[in-house]
Amino acid sequence: MEGPSTRLCASQAGLQSLADRRDSSGDAESDPARDMKTHFRVCRFIMESGVKLAMRSVPVVTACVLYHRFFERASLCAYEPYLVAMSCMYLAGKVEEQHIRTRDIINVSHRYFNSGSAPLECDKDFWDLRDSVVQCELLILRQLNFHVSFEHPHKYLLHYLLSVKSLVNRHAWSRTPIAETSWALLRDCYHGAMCIRHTPQHIAIAMLYLALNSYGVELPVGDKEWWQVLCEHVTKADIDAVISDLLQLYDMEAKCI
Amino acid sequence: MDKDLLRQCLTYHGESLFNKLKCEQTENPDFQAVVSDLCKATYERGEGQGSPLVEQFIARKADILFCPSWKTTTLQEEEHEEEEEEEEATEPCAIMPPLELFMEVSYEERRSMLYRDLERGDIVVGRINNIREYGFFLTLLCMAGGLKRDIEDLELSCLCHIREIPSTGSHDDPLSYYQIGDLIRGGVKDIDRYQEKITVSLHQASLSPSLKHIKLGVITQEELPIHYSRSVRAAADSSETYEHILSRCHGYHNPSVVDYLLKKVGISDTHPPSMMRGLQSKLFQEEDFASAIRKKQSASWALKCVRAGVDHFKHGHHVEAMNEYNKALEIDTNNVEALVARGALYANKGSIMKAITDFELALESCPDHRNAKKYLSQTLVERGKQFEGQEKLVTAEGMYRRALSLDDSNPEAQEALHKITDTIQKSIRLREEALAKEQVKAKGSQTSAEKLRKILKEEKRMKKKQKRSASSTSSSSSSSRSTSSSSSSFSHRRSKKKKKKRRRRSEHGNKRHRRISSRESRKSEEASEDEESDSSRRERKRKDSRTRRWKNSRSPDKQEKRSSRERRDTSRERGKNNNRRDSDSKRRNLDENTKRRVSCSSAESDYSRKSSFHSEYSRHSGSAPRMRHDSSKRSSFDGGRCESRGREEICEVEEREKESIEGGAAEENSRSDRHSKRSESAGSQSGSTSAPQARPKKDLPANLLDIFNQIAQFEKEKGVRPKK
Repeated sequence: MEGPSTRLCASQAGLQSLADRRDSSGDAESDPARDMKTHFRVCRFIMESGVKLAMRSVPVVTACVLYHRFFERASLCAYEPYLVAMSCMYLAGKVEEQHIRTRDIINVSHRYFNSGSAPLECDKDFWDLRDSVVQCELLILRQLNFHVSFEHPHKYLLHYLLSVKSLVNRHAWSRTPIAETSWALLRDCYHGAMCIRHTPQHIAIAMLYLALNSYGVELPVGDKEWWQVLCEHVTKADIDAVISDLLQLYDMEAKCI
Repeated sequence: MDKDLLRQCLTYHGESLFNKLKCEQTENPDFQAVVSDLCKATYERGEGQGSPLVEQFIARKADILFCPSWKTTTLQEEEHEEEEEEEEATEPCAIMPPLELFMEVSYEERRSMLYRDLERGDIVVGRINNIREYGFFLTLLCMAGGLKRDIEDLELSCLCHIREIPSTGSHDDPLSYYQIGDLIRGGVKDIDRYQEKITVSLHQASLSPSLKHIKLGVITQEELPIHYSRSVRAAADSSETYEHILSRCHGYHNPSVVDYLLKKVGISDTHPPSMMRGLQSKLFQEEDFASAIRKKQSASWALKCVRAGVDHFKHGHHVEAMNEYNKALEIDTNNVEALVARGALYANKGSIMKAITDFELALESCPDHRNAKKYLSQTLVERGKQFEGQEKLVTAEGMYRRALSLDDSNPEAQEALHKITDTIQKSIRLREEALAKEQVKAKGSQTSAEKLRKILKEEKRMKKKQKRSASSTSSSSSSSRSTSSSSSSFSHRRSKKKKKKRRRRSEHGNKRHRRISSRESRKSEEASEDEESDSSRRERKRKDSRTRRWKNSRSPDKQEKRSSRERRDTSRERGKNNNRRDSDSKRRNLDENTKRRVSCSSAESDYSRKSSFHSEYSRHSGSAPRMRHDSSKRSSFDGGRCESRGREEICEVEEREKESIEGGAAEENSRSDRHSKRSESAGSQSGSTSAPQARPKKDLPANLLDIFNQIAQFEKEKGVRPKK
């Protein structure tokens, strides 16, 4: 794959020109697999930049969802994914009320691709880049029919954590980092499109389930299992599906990065 | 690696996990350390649904999962718990009924869970079902702190002993306040897990620290915890599922519920956890963060503007240059280069103060900036010159010194500093010369008055004898003390006067001043001080008038005195400290005179009072000997100015002062009042016969007898007063 730095540094006034520049190099793998890797890398870029921009968890996750939803129907050939990712971050900041400046996004992204470089000067290239980010934002909005607010599993997960916490002994709970692990697993879900394929409650329950499983924590059982109670109509199969998707993502990390 | 967690995990999953772990974590030294212990653990296949994928995942991520630093949950959650127990409308997050209710956990299991997890300090709510003389019994309804469980149908009964009920102060039986059916909130005092007995207390001290603020005792239906009331509703209506209740909770829709719960649960959002290898927080470097890059970028952009501005400046376009500098400072406030450049521009234009502000701001962030120091030193020299023009020589000197300290190679600063130190030294020298001239004049005039002085002393001696006989009748010991001391000091003074040991006397006097002043301060301060200040003020005024009179009387010396006084004035301004240090007592006297006058005007402050005390004491001895020395000095040095009348007055003042200082009685004040009235030309504090004394005395010897008579009169009156 071409180095993303060349794509980013070059002037990107119009997104159409990007498509022309893009070489259609020989398909070493099938497109979907390759695309998934690209998406994985771009989402990794979003997650990393989110931390460097001091974005909270929910805006970062919104940016990832925007990205995945955009490329549900759009083709990677037509649009520069990293630019879309930058605009997704910008838009997500606005949606989730944590406004990020374009200058910061451009700075972080530039340094991501050109590690150790000096900050950009306030020159034509910088302003062109900024213009492209803003234009892309509008493009994303149109692509998504202006539906940009989503329900995330995070709220559910936190409430489930509280409820499950009351079921176990308080000392056992403080010894076992269930909360951190489930939160980490939840964030990692967003590297792939699975995050938009499952309902938020299912994802939350699955993450909690996996976390409890990893540490071997046993919860009391009544007529119903705890996960059956937290969400209606959730089955073990659903949970397993989510977990397997997530584990695939972990496997992909080793291959992609 | 956390051994206990690993063991727990392996026990749950079984041996296959252990094998996988060994496989994946061979390189991990932490794992190798604990693997030997884990070998010995027995594995039971827990659920029987061990998924190989999950086990693979656990095995691969074991170094992250079981890392001891992974655990960030602290017990801060405990403190937040009770904040939730507010009204439904203000809950920060959804407070759900206990999960076991929905799960329909069995009775037995719930009961055993409760006894396992209940701890001392938790809060329970129950209803009184029985009251005995030794306490009452509660049927527990729900938990209200520390645990959240569904316990109503467990029908647990617990006892609240009578001694666990706080007494209400009155001597009634505390149990009489309680009735069957009351809802009671109490703290768990003791749990007997084997016999399954719980005792409850109503003392606040029985609660755990995080719950201490919750009040125990009788509560109303409305005060029942929210989760309980919700659980009651849920139990009654099976359509109320968890999800349903959750979505209806007001707290669920709080926009900042995620942040609130993250804090409560103890997860950091700034360094979020991740299981991905590439997202571990230790891999992130500080300089890659947005804020760090922004700072560097702002500095660089500002520098561009500054360069453009300097360019403009060199071509003489000052307005554009200033614009560029301001633009640079907008991009990056406190940018050192921009501040230095702008400061230079201000200095060029003449706005010295603005320039200095900018340079100092620049030096705050970068204390070693060469240009800033150089320019600042030059600007300070300019400022110093301004001060010099305004005659503020000391301030100017300070400026030059500071300029030199910033940049020692600044030739202008060195030159200016030398010049101004020269100027200051010259002025000091001039002052000294002037004072020396005064001294000489004063010395010269002594010879003519020495004879008179001798006469006066003789008369004083006689007067003292009279006074001694008069005051011997007075009851005040102080006066007798003073007289005796005065007599002794008189002789002392006489003997000493002949020797020109003014300095020694003055030094002794100083010591005595200090001793006496300290003694004075030790006494009842305010009263004595007030009186002393009054008296001292009056003394000062008296001295003023006396010196004035002296001036008038000595017509040939008038001009000299006037000039000397002027010189004294200037010297007062310049060399107060110098004069203090000066060993020449005469000068000290003179300056203290003037100082007295100055301190007169500002007599309100303690400091001035004290200093005036000191000066006054030194001037005319707060104690008898000091005063005498001073007066003798004055009489000897001031050359006939004091002469006979002055001396007499001094003696009287001595008496008065002695008495006022030592006694602090009103009569002494009035006496000194009278005396000062007598000596003052102005003032009308008491209707004393001081008026005649205020006459300007041109011909001293002629009026001497008058004075003597009046003094005698006053002495008689003085002698009369103490008797009253």
